[in-house]
Amino acid sequence: MSVRPAGDFKTSYAQDMALLDTALYRIGFALLLGALLAAPLVLGRYLFLLNTIGIFALGAVGLSLLTGFAGQISLGHSAFMAIGAYASWYVTTRLGLPFLAALAFAGAATFAIGALVGLPSLRIKGLYLAIATMAFQFITEYVIIHTAGGMGGTVVPAASLFGFQIRTETQFYYLLLPIWVAGGVFAANLVRGRVGLALMAVRDRDYAAQVLGVNLLQYKTLAFALGASYAGVAGSLFAHYNRVIGAEHFTILQSIDFIAMIVIGGLASVWGPHLGAGFVILLNQGLRYVTPSLVTLLPTFARAATPLREIVFGALLIGLLIWEPGGLAMLFRKLKRYLDLWPFPH
Amino acid sequence: MTLHFVLEGALVGVAVGSIYALIALGFALLYKSTKILNLAHGEMVLFGGYLAIALTRSLDLPVWMAFALAVAGTLAAAAALGFVVERGIMRPLYGQSLLSVIIVTLALGYIIRGLMVGLWGGDTRQFPPVVPTGVVRFGDLIVPRVGIYSAAVALALLVGFSLFFRYSLVGIAMRAAANEQLTASTLGVSLKRVFAYAWAFAAIAASFGGILLGLWLGVNFALDYVGLKALAAVILGGLDSIPGAILGGFLIGMLENILGAYIDANVTAFGVSLHGFKEITPFVVILLVLLIKPYGLFGTEHIERL
Repeated sequence: MSVRPAGDFKTSYAQDMALLDTALYRIGFALLLGALLAAPLVLGRYLFLLNTIGIFALGAVGLSLLTGFAGQISLGHSAFMAIGAYASWYVTTRLGLPFLAALAFAGAATFAIGALVGLPSLRIKGLYLAIATMAFQFITEYVIIHTAGGMGGTVVPAASLFGFQIRTETQFYYLLLPIWVAGGVFAANLVRGRVGLALMAVRDRDYAAQVLGVNLLQYKTLAFALGASYAGVAGSLFAHYNRVIGAEHFTILQSIDFIAMIVIGGLASVWGPHLGAGFVILLNQGLRYVTPSLVTLLPTFARAATPLREIVFGALLIGLLIWEPGGLAMLFRKLKRYLDLWPFPH
Repeated sequence: MTLHFVLEGALVGVAVGSIYALIALGFALLYKSTKILNLAHGEMVLFGGYLAIALTRSLDLPVWMAFALAVAGTLAAAAALGFVVERGIMRPLYGQSLLSVIIVTLALGYIIRGLMVGLWGGDTRQFPPVVPTGVVRFGDLIVPRVGIYSAAVALALLVGFSLFFRYSLVGIAMRAAANEQLTASTLGVSLKRVFAYAWAFAAIAASFGGILLGLWLGVNFALDYVGLKALAAVILGGLDSIPGAILGGFLIGMLENILGAYIDANVTAFGVSLHGFKEITPFVVILLVLLIKPYGLFGTEHIERL
C-alpha cells in the first residue's frame, strides 16, 4: 500500500473501501473525465485513436477480469468479440432492431456463449485451458469464414439512437464514452466486492478456494461469461464503428494483442487494461506512421519495413516482461511512491 | 469413403505425420525438461525452412552440395538460436508465472517471423530441385516421391534422437532432469545446461521439420501454422510424453488426410459445404481430446492436493 496523505482519516468501512478514497483521487478522476469529455475539441482528426482505444479497452477489461483476476488464460478473446460483432450485425440488419437492442443482445449472447465455453475450465486448467481456448478461436474463425462470407464482406449499418444516425467520429465518441466509463467502473466495483475476491481466490488456488466456500462452477463460468460479455459489447461497438466486419478483424493475432494489452498494462489492475490498450494501439499507429518516413531515409530498409511492427512489438513485450512484470500500472505505482517520498529514498 | 481413399490418405498421412512427429518431438522435449509451452515453435519451423532455402540458393556450388551445406548451416543456426533464446530471454524469466512465459514465447515468435519475412519476403519460396519430383505408385495408390523421402529422413531422425536420449551422457542428464528436477540437480546435473540443450534440440527438430516441409510444399509466411498442428499432436499424445508426441504426430497426419479430406470434399452441414475443414481438423481433435481425456493418451495425470 502506498503512503496516505496526513490528516486523511477513515471513519467508516464505506470510506475505506471507496474506489476514489482521497480528495486528490476524486479531483484527478473528475479532471480525467472532463478531459475525456473535451477530447474531441482538442484531438480533431486524431479522435479515431481515442475511439479505437475505447473499444479495445472495453474488450481488454473483460480479459483482465478473466485472466488477470480469475487466472483463466484465454487465447480466444477476439472470438468472443467476433461473436458480439456478428450478433449485432444480425440483430440490426436481419431483425431490423435499433442499435441499443443489438448492443444488449451482443452482450447477452456472448455472456451465454462465454459461460458455455468456460465449462471445460472446471476439468482442464493452465496450459491445457489456454490451448482449448485457442482451438475455440480457430474454430470460430472457420465458422465465420464459412457462414458469413469470409474476408471483409459484411457491411454493418451506422448505429442509430432513437432515430438519430451516428455517422461522424465525434458522434460515435460520445456514444462510446459513457459505455467505456460505465464498463470500467463496473469492473472496478466488481473487483473490490465479493465476486472479485472470490475470483482472486480461484486464481491463487482453485481447490483452496473451493474449501473456503467459493463455488468453482459458478465463479469460473461467471468469469468466462463476464469476460466474453465485455468482448461482445466491444465487438458490437467495433462493428458499428468500422461499418465493415470480416474474419480478418478477429484473428488469433487480435487475441494475442488483447493478452499483450493486459500484460503491458498490468495483469490484476483496474487501470491496467485501459493503459495497455492505449499503449498497444498508439504503438501500432505510431509504427504505421513512422515506417514510411524511415523508408524514405533508408531506402534499403523498404522490404523489412512491413514486419517492423511485429519485431518492435515482440521486443517491447519481452523487455517489459523481463524488467517490469507488473506492467504500466506497476510503473505508475512506483512513480507515485517515488513522488510521495521525494526527496527521501524511503 | 472407399477403401482406396482411406489407404491413400493413410499413406500420405504417415508421410506428413512423420514430419509432424519430428516437430512435435521438439515441442514435447522442451515442455518435458523446462515446463515451458513454446508457442514460438511454429516460427522455429519457419526459421528452418526460410534459412535453408536462402542458404541453398546463395551458395554457388552443385545443388546437392549447396543443399547439404545449407542443412548443416541451418541446424547450426537453429542450435545457436536455441542457446541465445534460453540465455537471453528465458533465464531471466525463470520462476515467473505461466502467463508471462507463454506471452514471451509468443513475442519471440513475432520477432522470428518478422525477421524472416522482413529478410526474404512472405511469398512462397521453393528449394532448387534437390530431390527428384514425381510420384511413387504402390499398386494403384499414389504418393508424392518427396513424401517418401521426408518420411524416411524423419523416421531416421526420430530413431537417432531416441538413441541419443538413451545412450549419450547429455541425453541421460536431460531425461533425469525431466523426470525430477530437484533430484537430478542434487546429483550433479546442471539444470542451466539441460535447459539450454533442450532449447537447442527443440529448435533443431523444428528447423529440420521446416526443411522437410519446405522440400515438399515450399515455405511461406504461414508455415508457422504447422507448429500449431504439432501442438495438437502433443496434446493428443500427452504434453509430457515423448513417445506420445511421436504417435500423436502420425495420428494427426492420418486424421487430417483421411477424415479431414473426406469431410472437406463430401460433407455439407446446414446446406453449407465444409470446404477447408482439413485445416481445422487438428483443433477439433484438440478440443475433443481435452474434453474426454485431458492428459492425452500417455501424459502423466496431474494429481493436486492442498
